[in-house]
Amino acid sequence: MELAELAVKKALDFGATEAEAYVQKVKRLWIEFADKIDSFKIIESIGMGLRVAVNKKLAIHSTSILSEREVEEAAEKAVKIAKVAPEDPYWKHLNKEFGKSPAQGYFDDKLEAMEYSEIIEKLNAAIDKMKEYDNRVKPTRGMLMASILNTTILSSYGEKNERKETHLAAWMRAKAEDYGEKSTGTEHCEVRFWNEMNLEEMAIRAAEKAVKFLKAKPIESGKLPVIIRNQVFASILGVILSGPINADWVQKGRSPLSNKLGMQVAAQNINIFDDGTLRGGWRTRPFDDEGHPTQRTTVIGNGTLKNYLYDSYTALKDNVKSTGNAFRDQYWMPLQPLPTNLMLEPGNVSPEEMIQETRGGIFIDETIGEWLSNPVSGNLNATITHGYLIENGELTTPIKGIVISGNFYEILKDRMELIGNDLRNNMQNYSPTVKLTEITIAGK
Amino acid sequence: MEIERETEKIVKKAADLGVSHVDICYQQYDYELITVENKALKSYSSRRLGGLGIKVALNDAVGYASTCDLNYASLEKTLENAIKAAKLIKKEEKRIVEAKVNRIEMKSPYKIDPLNMAPEEKVSAALDANKAAWIDKKIKSAITRLGISKDYRIFISSEGSRVVTETTMIGVAHESVAKSNGIMERVPYQESKCAGYEFIKSMDLNSFAADISALAVEAVESKTPPAGTYAVVVDPNVIGLLLHEAFGHASEGDLVSTRESVLYGKIGSQVASEHVTIIDEGIIEGGYFYPFDDEGVKKEKTVVVENGILRSYLHNKTSAYEFNVASTGNGRAQDFENLPIVRQTNYYMGPRDHKFEELIEDIDFGIYIRGKGATGGQVEVGMGTFTFGVGPSKIIKNGELAETVRGVVISGFILETLKTIDAVGKDLTVRTSVFGGCGKMGQTVRVGDGGPHVRIRKMTVGGR
Repeated sequence: MELAELAVKKALDFGATEAEAYVQKVKRLWIEFADKIDSFKIIESIGMGLRVAVNKKLAIHSTSILSEREVEEAAEKAVKIAKVAPEDPYWKHLNKEFGKSPAQGYFDDKLEAMEYSEIIEKLNAAIDKMKEYDNRVKPTRGMLMASILNTTILSSYGEKNERKETHLAAWMRAKAEDYGEKSTGTEHCEVRFWNEMNLEEMAIRAAEKAVKFLKAKPIESGKLPVIIRNQVFASILGVILSGPINADWVQKGRSPLSNKLGMQVAAQNINIFDDGTLRGGWRTRPFDDEGHPTQRTTVIGNGTLKNYLYDSYTALKDNVKSTGNAFRDQYWMPLQPLPTNLMLEPGNVSPEEMIQETRGGIFIDETIGEWLSNPVSGNLNATITHGYLIENGELTTPIKGIVISGNFYEILKDRMELIGNDLRNNMQNYSPTVKLTEITIAGK
Repeated sequence: MEIERETEKIVKKAADLGVSHVDICYQQYDYELITVENKALKSYSSRRLGGLGIKVALNDAVGYASTCDLNYASLEKTLENAIKAAKLIKKEEKRIVEAKVNRIEMKSPYKIDPLNMAPEEKVSAALDANKAAWIDKKIKSAITRLGISKDYRIFISSEGSRVVTETTMIGVAHESVAKSNGIMERVPYQESKCAGYEFIKSMDLNSFAADISALAVEAVESKTPPAGTYAVVVDPNVIGLLLHEAFGHASEGDLVSTRESVLYGKIGSQVASEHVTIIDEGIIEGGYFYPFDDEGVKKEKTVVVENGILRSYLHNKTSAYEFNVASTGNGRAQDFENLPIVRQTNYYMGPRDHKFEELIEDIDFGIYIRGKGATGGQVEVGMGTFTFGVGPSKIIKNGELAETVRGVVISGFILETLKTIDAVGKDLTVRTSVFGGCGKMGQTVRVGDGGPHVRIRKMTVGGR
């Protein structure tokens, strides 16, 4: 990658003591649809994030205009900003530990070679399935994304790492209408391989859900046992824990898990991992966004807080090894430690068994607003858009429009009654279905 | 500009290839973000994004492709990609309305270009503000951010439009975390304006940060409200958030045409109480400067709701065609990599005639819901369900403000909620943000929202 080398070289020429270029080349298909395909986009982009240090002074500059002149200007601007930045007393050096873990399942060579028409055909077939399901159902919105990412990281320590990844994501919503009653059903899926994406199944499930919820109603406020579906609890897990287990939050005093290493923070049967090597995981890759190898890290083992997640900066500050969690959401964003694939270890109960052994309670199938939960206090809030009453071991009346609240840390400690065996992901967060002993519900 | 000459060639080439309509969007976007955490500079990042997107209509099918590589060969390849995309979805028919051909340049005014300010001055402003936030031992963490953006766009169409817009924006954000008796509370807040560095100079950044800390300390020592349904008064931040998220999205023409919105088929009917008027407007004090949309259409003042009656949806050229109306100038794209979809600009409730004291005086027990410290919201437009985490608020007892409550979450069904509005204040505040925006279908755009203080008779409040 000539321009990356040029950027690093120029940064050093302008007076940087260290420099790192992160170049990302993206090819992305983006399809939007409703009851038919609305638009088809082909995006080809490239961008470079340049991180420079002038002794202990740091700066990041990025650009998507990769001409020689712009790269030179970018290097100059980065160094200029770094020179005026106050010293970071904790700065030691850029990552020097380059390498690759044996992570697998992050690149689909079939997707790269595939004709676009195959994607269009599969998608049209799924849309048709949704329409055929029931004449009260209409596909109202959906998105399908396929991307191929080439990432190169190169540093002034003479190290270089390259990786090629694929991501596929789809999201679709069905709406049902019957004599003025309206309802929706939404399904989503994020995978690394085209053959793991079952669009027709998603379409049918969304349609089925929309029809079932035509008669959904809120329920009275109260406290009830709940079963939370895997993808929903995965999302909650990510919203609450991604920050607090990040070493940066811990070091800055923002994390409620600060000073709790080795302490019991959850019930004995709870294991939570971060696994950058998870086969086919949404954020699986051989090295992180500063070139450090990825790994599997136990965050909570048998209820005890075992590790925080580190990039090299936070690791050097604590005098420990990086856990390979350096992450940039986009090439132009600052680096920070974040989970790769965050996972609540599955247990051995099936969701059906959970329901069967529940006399009274609710099953949560879909929520909105869970990201409004507060990771610092652990205050959990979500609005259930799709739930069911559980009566004598069976899902009965569909319910909607109620708010659940509770404290996530209390849930981990003593409200987690059962952990399911059906692991699924919501982006990089993985969880099985879980049953909680009790949760507060604000209803009508 | 050289790029404009290349663009003209692409428009001609597209015509030669039988393309009936071409829109080209060139963009150069600059962004700077200074982050200070706990009295130290955490990062100074700056970003430049430049590129060009081509939208073609071929036998009524729309194809889109974009590139960052601006040499002519790459632009030609991008045109070919757009045509390829259009051919693949040729089955469908997607028509658009005609709109006036505009040839105009409009730039948001500023005195001092914030991108040209010395980096050290910007850093020290943020650093000083952060240091001023440590007002109490209970403050455990403080983050201050200074953000600057400049968005320059050229829109060119095969019909002859050439619309150049530039919006310069600056803002400061601060977040304090307070801890007491094992409870932690986070209060984030921000102020932004379409202006230059003079906006930062005119602000007292130190008291801005200190005030947020004071609120975090006050909140951490307060209780959460009992869950239930109450009469509430919401402040301009909250009514803005509520309207934008729970009503604004539902009024977006594309979501209406797919019948996804609760507002489908409701033009001319009562959707809110008679006190409610809702407007979407491209240029308004305090809001985001958006004179023309990304389809070259002027963003006029759109009255969405008038005295409780739904008058208009928001439209781009595509949704306008389906409703047989004119585009309202709401076709917006995040950047050159995205197709314009129907988006709000500055969405707000029109003021009426009540003083704040009059709004609370007949509430025996309720809550004054405040937006400062709000963490955001989410909505399901199909059913109109909303849920928002708002800031530390105040209990209203016997017509007067009483103690502060924290951890307040409001939720409800928007059409029911808006019908229980029985009084609207005479103040008006519209706000925007340089730190984020509104997300829809994977695209984020800058928006403004607001309104006056508003009394809502029935609101579900979840606490703990």
